[in-house]
Formats: sequence, C-alpha cells, structure tokens
Amino acid sequence: MPKGFFTDTSICIGCKACEVACKQWNQLPEDGFFFSGMSYDNTMQLDASTWRHVSFIERPVALSGQDAGAFSWLMSSDVCKHCQRAGCLENCPTGAIIRTEFDTVYVQPDICNGCGYCVVGCPFGVINRREEDGRAWKCTLCYDRLTDGMTPACAKACPTASIQFGELEDLHRDAHARVERLQAAGVKEAYLYGVDKDNQPGTEGLNAFFLLLDQPEVYNLPPDPVVPTKKAAESWRAMFYTALGAAAVAMAAVIATRGERAR
Amino acid sequence: MSDGRNIDSRLGTLSGEGSQQRGATEVVPWKALDTSGYGVPGDRTYYDRPVIKKSVWSWDIPAYYYVGGATGSAMALGAAATLINRDRLSRLVLQSRVVGLAGSMVSAYFLVHDLGRPERFLNMMRVFRPTSPMSVGAWILFFFSGSAGVAAISQLGPRWIRRIGDASAVISGVFGLGLSGYTGVLVSNTTVPVWQRPHRLMPALFLSSGVSGAASVFDLLGGNPREQRAVLLFGTAGKLAELSFAYLMERSVATVPEAARPLEDGLSGFLWKASKVLTAASLLIALVPNSSARVRRISGVLGSLGSLCTRFGVHYAGQRSAMNPRATFQQQRGGQGAYAVTGRAAVTGPGDARAVLE
Repeated sequence: MPKGFFTDTSICIGCKACEVACKQWNQLPEDGFFFSGMSYDNTMQLDASTWRHVSFIERPVALSGQDAGAFSWLMSSDVCKHCQRAGCLENCPTGAIIRTEFDTVYVQPDICNGCGYCVVGCPFGVINRREEDGRAWKCTLCYDRLTDGMTPACAKACPTASIQFGELEDLHRDAHARVERLQAAGVKEAYLYGVDKDNQPGTEGLNAFFLLLDQPEVYNLPPDPVVPTKKAAESWRAMFYTALGAAAVAMAAVIATRGERAR
Repeated sequence: MSDGRNIDSRLGTLSGEGSQQRGATEVVPWKALDTSGYGVPGDRTYYDRPVIKKSVWSWDIPAYYYVGGATGSAMALGAAATLINRDRLSRLVLQSRVVGLAGSMVSAYFLVHDLGRPERFLNMMRVFRPTSPMSVGAWILFFFSGSAGVAAISQLGPRWIRRIGDASAVISGVFGLGLSGYTGVLVSNTTVPVWQRPHRLMPALFLSSGVSGAASVFDLLGGNPREQRAVLLFGTAGKLAELSFAYLMERSVATVPEAARPLEDGLSGFLWKASKVLTAASLLIALVPNSSARVRRISGVLGSLGSLCTRFGVHYAGQRSAMNPRATFQQQRGGQGAYAVTGRAAVTGPGDARAVLE
C-alpha cells in the first residue's frame, strides 16, 4: 500500500524535533555547525546528511484571522517528496534508486557509485552527494522502520501532528478535510501543494505533500516543478535529427574527395 | 566517532539507514554564514537560498563532453571515409581510429575519476535504463570504445582482420554520433534553469561542437589535400552549426533574464563568449584559400579551444544558474516548468490558483 507524509505547516511550531529524531534514528553524521542569520533556521537546507529541514519564515503581514499586528510566522518541515515521477530515480544509471513496496523512493547505498546525476535531476534540491562519502543520500521514509510496521522517526517525534504518516489514501482525505476546516475558520490562505497528479502535473503528485499558507517560493519550494525526463523524448529527437545531419555532412565531405585529382 | 554522531560504540551499534555514511573526520566548528545580499525585500525567495542543488561534477565532466564529442565525430568522419573512399583517404582513416581508441580511453578515465565511488564504476553496466541519458550514454561509450578499439588494433593484422576492422569502424562511427550528441541530452535532462530550457537545442549544439572539435583535431594532425578538403567541409559545417545553435540557445534562455545571466557575465559568460569568438576565428582562418599547413594548425588550435570553451561555458553557467533560485522561480512562473510539457501548471494557492495563468 502506498505510504506517505502529509505535512500540515499550519500547526508546525518549528521545534525541530523531526530534524533531531531523523538524525538520531538514521545515525547521520553532522554536516557543519553554522550560524546562518536566517531567522531560527541554522539547518538551511535538505542535504545528504539532513533529511528533515524546518524553515522559518518571518512575514511582515498578518495571517488572516490573526490580529497581532503586521507580522506572522510560517514554519514548515521540509522532506524528500517521494514523487510519483521521481527525477532522481529516473536519472539514476545504476539502478541504485528504486521504488519500494511502500511506493517510496529509496537509494541503495551498496549500489550507488556517486555519479551525481540524481542531484541535478531533483526539482526540489533534496538529494545530494556527500563529499567525504562519495555517494548520494536522502530521506528513506524510514524504510527500516516501515519494514517493521513502525512510523517514521520524524512523524513519531512531531508533537503537534504537523507531520502525519499513513496510507496515502487516508492522508489525502484528511488533508482535504483539513483545508476545508481551515478555510471555514477564516484561514483563507490554506491550500495543498503536490497532493496529486492534477495538483502538480510535473511530478504527477508527491507522496510527501504539504499544506501551505503562502506561495511555494516563500518556503523555497518550486511553483511548477517538472521531472526532467518528461522532456527527454524531445531532446533525443533533436539529437537524432542532428546526428542524421552530421552523418550526411560526413558522407558529403568524403564524396567530394572522389574523382577530383589530388594536388 | 568524531563526525558528530556522538554515539559511544561501547553502548550502541551503528545500524541505522545512514550509519554507513562517511562524515567529516573533524567536526566543523561553529561559524557564521555569509548572509550579505540575503532576503531582498519584496522578492519572494527563502533568504536567497538555492532551490535546487548544483551539480557535484568537477571539470572532469565538461572535459569529457569535449573529448567524447571530438572523438565520436572523428570516428564518424573516419567511418564515412572507410565506406566511400578508403584508399585515397587512408591516413584520415588511420588517424580517426587512433583518435577513437585514445579518445575513448581518456573519456572513460574522466568519467570514472569523477565518480564519488570510482571503484564501483562497473555498476553503470548493471542495468540499462532508457529513462536515464547517463545510462544510455554509458552503453553508447561501451559499444563505441569496443568497436573503435577493434577498428584501430585490426590495422596491425592481416588483410582479413583489417576487413573486420573496417566493419567495426562503421559501427563505431554510428555510435560516435551518439557519443557526440547524448551529452547534450544528459545536460538538458536536469532541473538546472540554463540547461533545461534549451532542451531541444543543447543536443544539437553539443553534436555540432563535437563535429567542429573533430575537424580541429584532424587539422592538427594534418593530411593529404583530399583529406584536408574532406576535413574542411566537415569542419565548416560543424562550426557554422555550432555558432547558429549557440545563438538560438542564447535567445531561448534569454526569455527569462535571470536565467540568462550566467551566459552574459562572470567566468561562465566569458567562456561562452570566448567559444563563439574562437569558433568564428577558426572558421574564417580555415576558409583562407591555398593555406599552408601552419595556418591549418592555427585553425585547429582555435577550433579546439572554441569547442572546449563551449562545454566549459555551458557547465559553469549551469553551476551558477542552479544557485540562483530566481532563475528557477521565474522560469516556472513564466510557463517554462511543467506547464510547457503538460499544458497544466501546478497549484500554488487557495481556490485552485495555478503557477501560470491559463
């Protein structure tokens, strides 16, 4: 059964318990201690050794329904989207990246040879190659825990149920209900990002989708992401015709040498 | 463990999903990030942080684009010569095969060297995945180098072996065109703004740059007047095509100025402009009538440099482009994301608001 995450950013409190739980459960090495100057976000991005990342957005406008002045916080716990059409998986030349029985996208560390093609195939900047390690890494959606029937570490640790894990079907139902409830309560900004194929045609839907309260760019999410392989057929066609042209030119260049007397 | 895991090996075992990941041997001390220029008011980005990752490829990869491109196209001309005018172009035929063999070995070196785990390079041959241009390319290089190797080494054997070598050279010529062009498909099959936008032009640019590079190699090696004539025709077409596709690509990227910037300024812009100047100069010099061997060699040097600069310019432009979130955002808002492919943009707001107005 397809499993996934529904990250409801409207109730994220930015505690970063997900980041810590992920690092700890997966036993990931540190990736530099930085003071970023970016609000309370010193993690800054998803990376080879960072599989959950909480963003902090300070806005000079109020959220509708709030009356605390011209200011509002947005927090969001970002993660690998486990796309239905995954750029990393489709670009992987070794078969190291696979789709699991839970419909999640998983990098097999014993196969990956660190070619780096998944890194530029991801529309969300999730997967990366770790310099010291030489292989590509990203969220596994706790493949080990799922195999044992457990909830992923981040969802387990989330104190507000901002990160919800479950059957994709159930998550979809809950998410749509949640948007309706928020809209009814006067939070007019609420919408779902990447919930299904109609919502995000370029990825054909995300197994880890989001409820957002502002435009995707604000959360550092692309507004209209597309898996690069959707355009590959056109590229191959262009190459094919150019190759035909080059072959014709090569033949013509050689034919032009026939008959003529060598000087 | 000194890599930040802080797990006492006497108390706990490392068996988590990321436990095999090698970290830094020294824990990086706390330091401040340079935030100058972050958070431009009124501009919707996340503290100016990149939205996608830039490629982890070093200069090995653009160097490979050049070597593989020139080698593949050289073999294609060599194959045509083998088929049509074998006896009068014997030097060109031999040169093409030596270039084919040496070039495929250099190509393989660059590719293996750039891997994060070079000892696992054979995993490329584990599967054939048609969705991945890199997988297709690895197999093209495999068959190309095999057939080019047979074509070259057979020249040392008796007549009947040379016959087999000729057949192998023709096969290698076909794969050679694939080798020259697939790198353009590979580069544009990414999310990097300046690479993904011209996805129909990039393969054409890379292939014609390969043809121009191959002609330049033959110019440097020299040949008899018939061979020179063939190389001149081949190279002139390649250089004209390279210049035209570079112009078209620039125009296609320029529809979003933020994405086009890496082709205009900085190191990548310099390399991109230099490639056009060098290729044009090489083209003009090659067309000087009754030119001496020395003039042809100058044209060969300029053409090679032009072809190299094209690949390095494209590579470094992509690296800069990936670091600029505005390039991605503006392309996708401008209809160059999923909208361009599926005819429908993604939801980016309440009430089914889409990224692109339809």
